[in-house]
Amino acid sequence: MDLLPTPEQDEIIGSIRAVLAGRHTIGEPLSDGLWSSAVEQGWFGLSVAEADGGVGYSIVEEGLLFAEIGASCVPGPFLATALAAHLAPRLIHDGGRTALAEPEGDHLRVIDGPGADRVLVVGSGGAELFDIADLGELTPEPALDELVGLAVAPRPTARPIATGDVTLRAHVLLGALLAGIARATGEQSVEYAKDREQFGQPIGGFQAVKHRCADQAVRSDAAMNQVRFASLAARDGRDDSLFQATAAHLVAANAAIANAQWNIQNHGGIGFTWEHTAHRYLTRARIWAQLCGGGYGAATQLLSLPTSG
Amino acid sequence: MNLDFTADEEQFRDRARTWLRDHLPTEQRPPDGQPMREFDVAWQQTLYEGGWAGINWPVEFGGRGLTDIEQMIWYSEFANADPAFTLNNSCTFVGNNHGGPTLITCGDDTQKQYHLPRILRGEVIWCQGFSEPGAGSDLASLSTKGVIDGDEIVVTGQKIWTSYAEVADFQELLVRTDPTAPKHKGISWVICDMATPGIDIRPIRTMAHTNDFAEVFYDEVRIPLTNVVGDLHDGWRVAMSTLSFERGTAFMADQIELVATIEELIVEARQRTGRDGKRPAIADDDIALRLATARAEIAALGAMTIAGISRNRRTAMPGPEGSMIRLFHGELHQRVYQLALDIIGDDAFRLTPIDGDGVWTGPYLQSFAYTIGGGTTDIQRNIVGERVLGLPRVK
Repeated sequence: MDLLPTPEQDEIIGSIRAVLAGRHTIGEPLSDGLWSSAVEQGWFGLSVAEADGGVGYSIVEEGLLFAEIGASCVPGPFLATALAAHLAPRLIHDGGRTALAEPEGDHLRVIDGPGADRVLVVGSGGAELFDIADLGELTPEPALDELVGLAVAPRPTARPIATGDVTLRAHVLLGALLAGIARATGEQSVEYAKDREQFGQPIGGFQAVKHRCADQAVRSDAAMNQVRFASLAARDGRDDSLFQATAAHLVAANAAIANAQWNIQNHGGIGFTWEHTAHRYLTRARIWAQLCGGGYGAATQLLSLPTSG
Repeated sequence: MNLDFTADEEQFRDRARTWLRDHLPTEQRPPDGQPMREFDVAWQQTLYEGGWAGINWPVEFGGRGLTDIEQMIWYSEFANADPAFTLNNSCTFVGNNHGGPTLITCGDDTQKQYHLPRILRGEVIWCQGFSEPGAGSDLASLSTKGVIDGDEIVVTGQKIWTSYAEVADFQELLVRTDPTAPKHKGISWVICDMATPGIDIRPIRTMAHTNDFAEVFYDEVRIPLTNVVGDLHDGWRVAMSTLSFERGTAFMADQIELVATIEELIVEARQRTGRDGKRPAIADDDIALRLATARAEIAALGAMTIAGISRNRRTAMPGPEGSMIRLFHGELHQRVYQLALDIIGDDAFRLTPIDGDGVWTGPYLQSFAYTIGGGTTDIQRNIVGERVLGLPRVK
């Protein structure tokens, strides 16, 4: 039993970080260059079997990938595209983008709609993959996070391309995205607390700031380790995998939101500006926290799931 | 990264489960005094005879020479066996989790040969003498004097917050042996025989109604220099090793017990009528959300514990990251019992013991120790901030 990445997994993390750092700046939209690199590197088939055209790793490595995507705060349809690859593996290499839609009243709420080729509709009855043209007209709406491309659309009436259950995988990967935000916002606060001086010393020397940074580190550590545990439980098909995954989504959502909020406070006035990246993490965290049955529904559902492995 | 237990670990678990079924005491642990000591010592002896003492201690000192994973499995089997007492509420705690591990790391051969087997066999009880009235969070400012006189140290001063002092045979004691050196450099870590003349113990009653806390006064207490652990004046480094064990794995038992606690509390919330007097407590949205969050956070605590073991496996000494687990655990433990008091309704009027089945108010009162003992959560935050994150030290 071990929860630290192996040397091979550390290499995977390193190469993912290099791609993200080279092709994305926080606050910018998703670049075509990053998307093509992601397709080339096999990010969307990372946990799909080699026989189905994937890379043949598992949801554990996919979790490491999504933690890095979260930490870099890159927008774009990574999650739904990776989930869709499990419903229709033949789409892994075509470079297509998959938007994510969830029922909201009589309509669907769609994110990452602009530029998408397909849409994954995730509801309580399971997930259905459609061609984006089957959605009808998307009506854009102002979004809490301007980079996620929010819209509403009527429910499709066409037959789906593929269907399946993505619940377990979605909780793990959303947990990973959120744990990445929790880590990145903690690190951003620590960096600023070492650098910024007031009263003749770095503000990280003051307990008020230092203790908030310590709390961020603890939340981030709890979230990251629970996500890793959940990804392993999911890979191994343990009886408690849905509990662990739901717990990972919940703990990571709370950690990401709290850390992103405190990160703004730790930065003072500059943290409140549009120019600074602190708000990007916060608004992204708020969205990822609520997707795919996150939020309150998942929290209470978690009470009836079995915990023993 | 994997969640697999080896075949040996699985066998270890099976043996532990079977053994616990036959040997776990079913009677209530006496709350204080000699009956409490006898209960704790008898359990330690039973453990030793069964081969369950010092699971992760070296074989040469009577331990089993196994890993932290096996130690964790044992704690988890203990918690699953529905014990009538809490493992760490024991006067054997300091010997097993502070004194012993410190001797293993910093003691000389004579000290190890003498003390370690006695601790494991349940022949002796150890207590801690670190805090003083003027040296709590600022432990390094301690002022209990240790004057070197020939081959002895003559100790005069006062310690406080010493659990189980009245029933202890030995104490891990920090004294200032060089008053001229900077405060971290003039301290020595000594083994104090509690039967030495000049020691006066005065019990302190706690808010949790327990009497095992004490002040200890020293009036020219003569301790042989051979009882110094590590080098003379190097006691701060030795003490920090003790604390890193405490913050590393010593509280693993408590952390694992919390898993059983939250499951019991969920059952309580399903069975008891809630605040509206009609529906079960768990039908209340706020209660359900707090229970779910606690259950998820306790799972995360388990994952942090395994990550901590994974880290320790790669280093000789537990690192400062242990403070993150300790901090998360202490506050989570408190939140669970605060939630319990909101769930149990009219039973929140009634005092229970701190351990046993279906007890909530006693452990609630006791839970306040979890964010104070072994370094307050404020100190743990300083350690995380300074030693894990590299922020500037407190001036």
